[in-house]
Amino acid sequence: MKARAHVRLAIVYVAAAIVLVGTIGPFLWLVSSSFQYERQLLNRPPQWLPNPIVLDSYREIFEGAILGEASGVPYQSRIFLRSFANSFFVAGSVAAIAVLVGAYAAYPLARLHFRGRSVLLFGILASRLIPALSLAIPIVLVAKKIGMSDKIISLVFINLSFILPYVIWLLQSYFKSIPMELEDAGRIDGCSRLQVVHKIILPLSLPGLTSAGILAFLLTWGEFLFALLLSETPASYTSTVVVSLFATDVDVSFVSIITAGVISVIPPICFALVFQRFIISGLLSGSLKG
Amino acid sequence: MLRSHKLLALLLVLALLIGATASAQDDGLKLTGWPYEVDVVTENLGRFTEQSGHGAVFLPFPSNEYRDKMVASFVAGTEFDVAYVRDSYLAEWASAGWILPISDLEGADELLADLPAGIIEQMSYDGDVYGLPYYSGVQTMAYNAAHLAAAGIMAPPATWDEMLEQAQMIKDAGVVDYPILMQLRSGENYLLREWETLTAARGGRLFDDDFNPLFQEEGSAAWQALDWLTEGLDAGLIDPASLTDDDGTLLMAAGTTSYMTTTDYTLKAMNDPEQSNAAGDIKNALIPGTDDVKSGTWGYVRLYAITNNAQDMDAAWQLVQFLGGKDATGVYYVPKRWALEFGLGFSPAPLYEDEEVRNSISGWIDPDLLSEQSEYAISRPYRFVPFFSDWEIGSWGPLQAAILGDADKGEVLNELAEEWNELKDDWGY
Amino acid sequence: MQTRRETDRKEMSPGMLAVLFSAPAVLIIAATILAPFLMAVFLSLHNWNLKRPGRERFIGLENYTDWLSDSDFWGPLQTTFSFAFLAVVVIVVIALLIALLLNEKFPGRGLLRALLLVPWAIPSVVNALLWKWLLNPQYGLLNAVFFELGIITEYQNVLGSMPSVMIWLVIAYSWIHIPLATLLLLSGLQTIPDDIYESAIVDGAGVGQRFLFITLPMLWPMLSIVIIFEMIFALKVFDIIFVLTAGGPADATNVLGWQIYTETFRKLDFGAGSSIAMLLGGITLALAIIFYVILDKGVER
Repeated sequence: MKARAHVRLAIVYVAAAIVLVGTIGPFLWLVSSSFQYERQLLNRPPQWLPNPIVLDSYREIFEGAILGEASGVPYQSRIFLRSFANSFFVAGSVAAIAVLVGAYAAYPLARLHFRGRSVLLFGILASRLIPALSLAIPIVLVAKKIGMSDKIISLVFINLSFILPYVIWLLQSYFKSIPMELEDAGRIDGCSRLQVVHKIILPLSLPGLTSAGILAFLLTWGEFLFALLLSETPASYTSTVVVSLFATDVDVSFVSIITAGVISVIPPICFALVFQRFIISGLLSGSLKG
Repeated sequence: MLRSHKLLALLLVLALLIGATASAQDDGLKLTGWPYEVDVVTENLGRFTEQSGHGAVFLPFPSNEYRDKMVASFVAGTEFDVAYVRDSYLAEWASAGWILPISDLEGADELLADLPAGIIEQMSYDGDVYGLPYYSGVQTMAYNAAHLAAAGIMAPPATWDEMLEQAQMIKDAGVVDYPILMQLRSGENYLLREWETLTAARGGRLFDDDFNPLFQEEGSAAWQALDWLTEGLDAGLIDPASLTDDDGTLLMAAGTTSYMTTTDYTLKAMNDPEQSNAAGDIKNALIPGTDDVKSGTWGYVRLYAITNNAQDMDAAWQLVQFLGGKDATGVYYVPKRWALEFGLGFSPAPLYEDEEVRNSISGWIDPDLLSEQSEYAISRPYRFVPFFSDWEIGSWGPLQAAILGDADKGEVLNELAEEWNELKDDWGY
Repeated sequence: MQTRRETDRKEMSPGMLAVLFSAPAVLIIAATILAPFLMAVFLSLHNWNLKRPGRERFIGLENYTDWLSDSDFWGPLQTTFSFAFLAVVVIVVIALLIALLLNEKFPGRGLLRALLLVPWAIPSVVNALLWKWLLNPQYGLLNAVFFELGIITEYQNVLGSMPSVMIWLVIAYSWIHIPLATLLLLSGLQTIPDDIYESAIVDGAGVGQRFLFITLPMLWPMLSIVIIFEMIFALKVFDIIFVLTAGGPADATNVLGWQIYTETFRKLDFGAGSSIAMLLGGITLALAIIFYVILDKGVER
């Protein structure tokens, strides 16, 4: 039995290694490139490891963020880390609100039989069916007319409306997997629908809610189109907009873009690391026994 | 669960509060553009404010998406006063009424008098001039002198056929796999421009002055240009990546390409030891011609224009004059600074004589050859009709198919001519 | 009081409850999207070219009928379908395999899970750069790797011709999208109680049997959602095409998303751009409903 467990673990680790190389390999090249000179990116064969290790792009980004104009580094590097505040705010609010609001909307779709359920399910999805590009200009126009352009709160709403459909679909599917008997038992004990949701459905759906939250955070963190189209001043740029500013028409600072990209990856991955401990199995089997 | 609800509610309230406080403040004139040397632009604006008393702020947007960003802003009516404009979409913005003509404004005549006719033409739509130049220049040829030397070649090619011969020598010598890069990708910065260069350098044009297509005539320069591309691709001398690559200057900088036609200022990056593995080896030469035609090229302009949302027309015009023309002391302050410190091409005649400016660019490009090149620039009035880009977008796929030999050249060219004529009739030109 | 209020609630009809529960979400979506959406519908029924101000007029369904009789619609539609089909299959299969792996218990699992999200967390402009560098025929990284491994004898230009350009677009696209699908499938796998597997093992079921008779049926609801989501994403593909091929070479990768972009932002023909977007939306909705019905049947079985 013990030998079999070892074999199993060996197979798992080989598979994990393959997966890791496939997903992280290209990213490691980005990391390596961020410590090189611009021209080394064009070497043939490629310069796999930095030699020498060049810290300029990191130094510029951190010095620029701390010292501001006194640092003497290019404008883009100065505002990059500062734009993280906007990104955090937008992605964090969207994740929190989407999970909260989405969970309530998902419950009846998963559990109740009512007329128009399918209409609601697909109606919610309707806004996601046509490409954002063709809604972009109408959205910018409406935002301008109602005085909501150049405000990051508008980005929260727009991202919410794009992400909520996914969150609702995901959660209603998740809720369906919770055994009906648990809910019935709660109802017999005198719980209202709202209490059923609060005391039974939500606690048991923690893995689903967490996945939804991570999904919402990551999708919003990376959103570029509306972050660009709705901003009028650098004060409302998110980090994705600033990363794009390193291409200037006359020249492109590839190493700076790559460095900014590498740094951009850190917050969402930390977010996922912190929250994914809630993606755990066994919640349901435990409660069934109890 | 309850605690987390409270937390979420708190976040929500916080969100509304922060969102409500963040909004645009009024800093006077708003100048939009791509983010090249933001601090220099801001410094220049500081000088403008000192001289004129008008506040001005620079709002940089990502270069690749600048055009789309501005389209959305114009439609929404965002209050930007002055904007950078590329000549490739000047006609569109002008026909949509988003930028305003300056020809009749006070002081325009004097500044326009200093500009070459070709530059003015590229800032014009329907008889009006829409701005003053930020930087300008011509398409020229770049080649890797070290590659040529390694294959025993003494001088860059004078004709296109000679280029293929030299490329064969370079390839045979094992210097690089594909010596020539042509920019044939779909997109307004690639295929059509390359075709125009190749056509101009055979003494031809795509359209005549009355906007009638010439390219579909058998044996036309434009037709020959496509034949040459097919020949070079089939022979393995033109890099097949030409059809999808979006930045040939990187291939020059990598040292894997020997020849390309390129915008003049890109030679600076190609010869910068920080950015390029071929620094010092990249030279400019006249774009090759034929036995009868020496060379051919076309010019480009980036300009400053006043938008239709400008709040204070007088102040906006003052800013355009300051940026693209003379400052309050009567000198071409901003254009000279771009030329001197950053090597950007300039248009006002007085700067051509300026010894300082000449010396500053000779480190990475031959200024005499460059000014000779500009003498071969053709005029392209057909680009300044509003339907040009409609036609251009539809031309990329068929032209690529014709170049690759997947479609018959004659059929493709005739169809493209028909499409052009339909658009022309439809727009009443 | 307490009990009476609860009784009241219990008597509330499912329809009312549904309205109350979904109201906040529906309001947020409607407040943001409804007006722009209606505006897009409005534009699609008009001749509306921004370059010809003053000539806007209502033309009914003419934009639609124009597209439906135009090879510029049917060609890209076919390309879009090929791309979406390949992408969805690749993404779902690989994501399922990875999710099954991550559902195993082993030291380091948590870190691996988080790291798998990396491709998705890279800003799109940097992702674009990455793939440009990976696939470049001269200084390309994949060329170098395959060359060193002896798989190829000379550097390849994979974006230059069909079918390799389509294959590599699908690979690049899938690389970015697999993390999302994996995350969802993993959370679906977590809903399957361990004791079912345990009793199956006691009954002598092998790995294959457990997958077919326990995992697959119980994962089905989430799997069907992932398939529908990925299909919706893939039918709208634009970013990766914009960056790597711009629809070329010779229209080989010209998808509807690219067509919508050029009509709207390049030709400034909002009527044509909105109508083709509506057509794509309609097709996507129809497919989503068909998939939903079929896949939902799968659950009942």
